[in-house]
Amino acid sequence: MIDSEQHPYVEWIAREARRPVVVDLDARARLMAAVRAEPRPRRRPGWQRMFEPRAFNVSPLGSALLAAGLVGIGVLAGAFAFDRDGRQAGQPPAAVASRLPVSDSLVKFVFIAPQAGSVSLVGDFNGWDATKNPLRRSGDSGLWTVQLPLSAGRHVYAFVVDGTWNRDPAAPVTPEDAFGHANSVRIVARGVAL
Amino acid sequence: MNNTRPASGISARAHVLLGTLLLAALPVASLAAQELDPLSKLDAPSKFTVQLLIDSAQAAGLPSRALMSTALEGIAMKVDGRRIVAAVRREYGYLQTARSSLGPVGDEELTAAAAVLEAGAKPAALVAFRTRQNGRSDLEAFTIWADLITRGVPKEDASTAITKLWQDGADDATFHSLWNNVQTDILQGLNPGTALQNRIRETPGRAPPGPGKPPEGQQENQSSK
Repeated sequence: MIDSEQHPYVEWIAREARRPVVVDLDARARLMAAVRAEPRPRRRPGWQRMFEPRAFNVSPLGSALLAAGLVGIGVLAGAFAFDRDGRQAGQPPAAVASRLPVSDSLVKFVFIAPQAGSVSLVGDFNGWDATKNPLRRSGDSGLWTVQLPLSAGRHVYAFVVDGTWNRDPAAPVTPEDAFGHANSVRIVARGVAL
Repeated sequence: MNNTRPASGISARAHVLLGTLLLAALPVASLAAQELDPLSKLDAPSKFTVQLLIDSAQAAGLPSRALMSTALEGIAMKVDGRRIVAAVRREYGYLQTARSSLGPVGDEELTAAAAVLEAGAKPAALVAFRTRQNGRSDLEAFTIWADLITRGVPKEDASTAITKLWQDGADDATFHSLWNNVQTDILQGLNPGTALQNRIRETPGRAPPGPGKPPEGQQENQSSK
C-alpha cells in the first residue's frame, strides 16, 4: 500500500485518471469513413487460400478427439509398418528367418473322431487359434485331415474336437504344461515332416 | 458489432469433416490395434508382466517366441491371467536353465531342451549335449526324451538312454523308432521303464538304461549290429 502523503505524485495521477476524457463526436464517423474508403482485399484463388494461415477454434473435447484420433492413426501406421523390434510387419524375426528353408514343408495332420462335429488344429504356428486351421472330414470314416505348410523345426500343437483339447495319439507329447494340458510335438525336417 | 466473427464457412465445414473422420478412425484404429496385438485379450497387469518377460527374454537372447506361444495357448484355453503369467515365468526359467546347461544353441533346440527340464530331467543331464556336432540336431532326441519321462519312464533311465544314444551317433529316425516302439509297449500295458529297457536293447548304438543292464553276451550281439 502506498501512502499518498509520502508520495504527492500519487494523488496527482489519481486526479488525472478521474478527469473525464473529451471525445470528438465526429471522430468515430471519420474513422469508419476512412475504413470504408480502403479498397476491399482481393479474394485469392482457391489454391492460394490453401496456404493462408488460419485460426481454428477447437473446444477441449474437440482437441481431445483430435489427439486421440492422431494417436490411433499413428498406431495403425506403426503397426502396419514395423513391429516392436523394428522388423517389417509380417516378417519373421531375423534370427528365425536366417534358419528357415526357402520353402516350408507341407505337413499333414490326421485325427480320427467318428462322432465329432468339428475338429480344428491349434498350435504355436497359428497362435493357438482354433478358427485358422479346421480339419476336413474324409467321407464317413471319421478321418479328419488338414495339410499346411510349416517351417523346419519343432512345433507344438493339439486338436480341438468339439471344443475339447486333445493330443495327437500318433506323436510325441510335451510335459503337462502349467495349464494342465500335454500337447503334441511335430518335428519338421527340411523338406520332410517326421 | 457482429463483423468480428473470424471463422469462415469453410473452416466450419472443415471442423465437421475433421471431427467425423477422427470419430470414424478411432474405433477402426482401436479394433486394428487389438487385432495386431495378440496379447490384447489379457487383463492389463498380466499383459504388462508377460510383455516384460518377453522383452527380457529378447534382451537375454532367449527364444521369446516360446513365451509368446505359452501366453497365447493360455489365452486360447481361457485360462486366468495370473496363471498365464505364472506359466510364462516358469517357461522363462526353464529356458534360462537350458541355456546355462547347453551354452549357445538355436531357439528350437533351447525350447526342446526346456521341455526336457519341464518333464523333470536334471539340468546336469543336458550338459552332455553341450558338445555340438556339425549338421546334427538334437531336436528329436530332446523331444523323445521329454515324451518318455511324461509317459512314466523313470527320469534317470530316460536320461541315460537318450544321452548314450545321442553320444553313439543315433540319428533322428532311430530316436523316433525307439519312441514308437516304447509307446506301443506302454499302450499294451507294459511298465514304461521296462518298455524302454526292452526296446533300447534292440536299438543300434544302444545304452543300458539305469541299473538294469542287459547280460554281457546280449550286449555284444546288439553292438555288432
